[in-house]
Amino acid sequence: MEYWKDANEPIEAFVKLFEKGFEDSDMSGGLKKVNQLIWFDYTQDGPDCSFWVDCRGGELKTGPGKPDDEPDLTMSLSADDAHRSWSNKLNPVMAITRKKIRVKGSATGLLKLAPKLKKVAVLYAETLKELGKDDIIL
Amino acid sequence: MKANTGKIIDVDLSRGAITIDELPEDYYRKYIGGSGLAAKIFWERGNFDADPLSPEAMLLFTNGPFAGLKLSGVSRHSTAGRSPLTGGWGDSSCGGYFAPELRYAGYDGLLITGKAENPSLLLIEDDTVKILDAAEYWGKSASDVNGALKERFGKAYRTLVIGPAGENLVKYSVILNEGHHATGRAGFGAVMGSKNLKAIVIKASKKEMELADPEKVEALRKDLNPRIKEAVASNVLHETGTAGNLIGKMYEGDVPIKNWTSNFWEEAAEALTGSTLTETYLTRAGSCAFCGIACKRVVEVKEGPWAVPEGPGPEYETIVAFGSLIGSIDLAATCKAGRVCNDLGIDTISAGATIAWAMEAFEKGDLTSNDTDGIELKWADLDTVINVVLPKIAAREGKFGNLLAEGSAAAAKKLGKGSDYTVHAKGLEAPMHDPRGGGHGLALTYAVGARGACHVQDPMMFAEWGARYYPEIGFEYELEPMTDENKAEAAATMVAIGALENSSCFCQFADAEVTIPDWIELFNTVPGYGWDADEMLRAGRRVFYLKRLINFRFGRTADDDKLTKRMLEPARDGEPEGIEINFEGMKARFYELMKIDPVKAIPLKDVLEEHGMGEEAGVVW
Repeated sequence: MEYWKDANEPIEAFVKLFEKGFEDSDMSGGLKKVNQLIWFDYTQDGPDCSFWVDCRGGELKTGPGKPDDEPDLTMSLSADDAHRSWSNKLNPVMAITRKKIRVKGSATGLLKLAPKLKKVAVLYAETLKELGKDDIIL
Repeated sequence: MKANTGKIIDVDLSRGAITIDELPEDYYRKYIGGSGLAAKIFWERGNFDADPLSPEAMLLFTNGPFAGLKLSGVSRHSTAGRSPLTGGWGDSSCGGYFAPELRYAGYDGLLITGKAENPSLLLIEDDTVKILDAAEYWGKSASDVNGALKERFGKAYRTLVIGPAGENLVKYSVILNEGHHATGRAGFGAVMGSKNLKAIVIKASKKEMELADPEKVEALRKDLNPRIKEAVASNVLHETGTAGNLIGKMYEGDVPIKNWTSNFWEEAAEALTGSTLTETYLTRAGSCAFCGIACKRVVEVKEGPWAVPEGPGPEYETIVAFGSLIGSIDLAATCKAGRVCNDLGIDTISAGATIAWAMEAFEKGDLTSNDTDGIELKWADLDTVINVVLPKIAAREGKFGNLLAEGSAAAAKKLGKGSDYTVHAKGLEAPMHDPRGGGHGLALTYAVGARGACHVQDPMMFAEWGARYYPEIGFEYELEPMTDENKAEAAATMVAIGALENSSCFCQFADAEVTIPDWIELFNTVPGYGWDADEMLRAGRRVFYLKRLINFRFGRTADDDKLTKRMLEPARDGEPEGIEINFEGMKARFYELMKIDPVKAIPLKDVLEEHGMGEEAGVVW
């Protein structure tokens, strides 16, 4: 991995990013509209390298690993590309076309997050700073 | 000959004569089918001096080699000839159910000239082709006539019908398959109307076609169909239609607002996006023949001023053309506007664009109530647009109806004002993708495209989105939409791929999953063209070049490969605010790469000869 020392680092950052997002009224509003259980699968970088976000039913939850329920949407990619993605430096259409991101399930809900991508990048940069990972901010 | 039948129906409506013409196999191997085949037929047999609405004008309907295969995306056909809207080459791709039926009936196309003495329809039942009286259908809406024809002949009969707009020679009238799959661009409904041809009705008794290598085709079909259906984009298209990512594109500055005066309208993003349509008015998804994507919308607006019964719903283009482009976020009104345009037989893109232009002209005082027959035009006034303006256009009623029936470019010219804020290339109103935010390469391909401003004559728009990747031929660009970097280079490949798509009549949503090896396998196992990648791309470029030669013979030069002032003004807001498009730089580089003469705008003689077009070169050089 180019940006991470081990498989725990990205998951810690990404879970914290979403916890931060849940506290932001704009972001949480956008996430609730997604209304799906999403599994972000980075297991190509290690068996425990994944996390989930549950936006179903107007409640927002996140945690490491694979969710107990069957996810509505699974996004499989590398932890490095995930870092680029949350930094708004990865064109998701291009990444899907080039098979860098593999999608299983309905991606329609995620389109509702398109207006929030810049905000996500801001929150992500803040998250990385708080974790002392300023050096990898893109 | 395999897949293709080598036969077209040649109809002279003036003489009431019908013959079956056999085409040389060379036409297919060199020009593929669809719009390429149509261009070749026009080149050989078309009357270059004929007014597009005169009896001498040629109207062509052509299939691609894959029509009839049970494969997602290939049930499209091309309609082509000289466009009455632009005066130049026009072709328009139409989905639905006509293409397979034409192939099964034994034909690759229809060539129609002349003018029937009375309103007529053409009936095709395998070897039997008849011209029948259609006086009872004249003046009626496209959906009514489609319904009446189904009742008369049977539900299994497929139809192509024009509405009142086509009869009245509105320059952007459409031809509709099954009452709603539109041959939308370039005004071929008016060409049909000028020939007194209200409808074409077809049914084949068998559902068979010959294939060069049936076993390989079956294996390929079984591989491609699930791949196409399960692709991420297909999934989004199925669930939310072609407007699925309107919300994302609004934030990128791709969605035009109020006649391209703005590139961002936050409220419109969610109000008009595909998921909102799904959640509010969608009753089910519809599809073209054999397509697993099913991106078509079937909608019902149960109440309110724009109530419509369950039926065809609006595509992205219609939603924007009758939404943000005219200053509205009323999604129900776009459902109604789309339905009214279908009934009248009008292209929603050109209609919305022409009305948006008129609204701005009225606001500026360039168009007055004296020009509009007393109608007050205001942004977002859908009541006036739907209940007054569209019917007036279709009927060419009054001074205003006649003015707008010509399209925005001609209307501004006639008015002597407002050309600066028309939005078109070569007279064809631009679709609902603004290159200033959507991608600068799209500005280039709008301008150099044979038929004018069009986002589906090649996949440049998709390439700039990141949705085209062909490593086998070195197309690995990571394009940044709002720059000119590598855009001419990318466009040089995309115009060839676009020619393959529109000549094989393959839907751009479905063929996004088709790799270069897949394309070669399709051409080699379905019609058996025996191509490698180089020969396939050469055929694509040949089609692109031939359309330029045709336009040259219509009097078009490099001065016509341009965009209007409004389209090249830096955006006033949104993501692309203030960014300039290096249009002339991209155009010059594209000409250089494609070996196009910078004045005549046609390929140089040696490049034509390299493409096996020596005879054509002899005509223009």
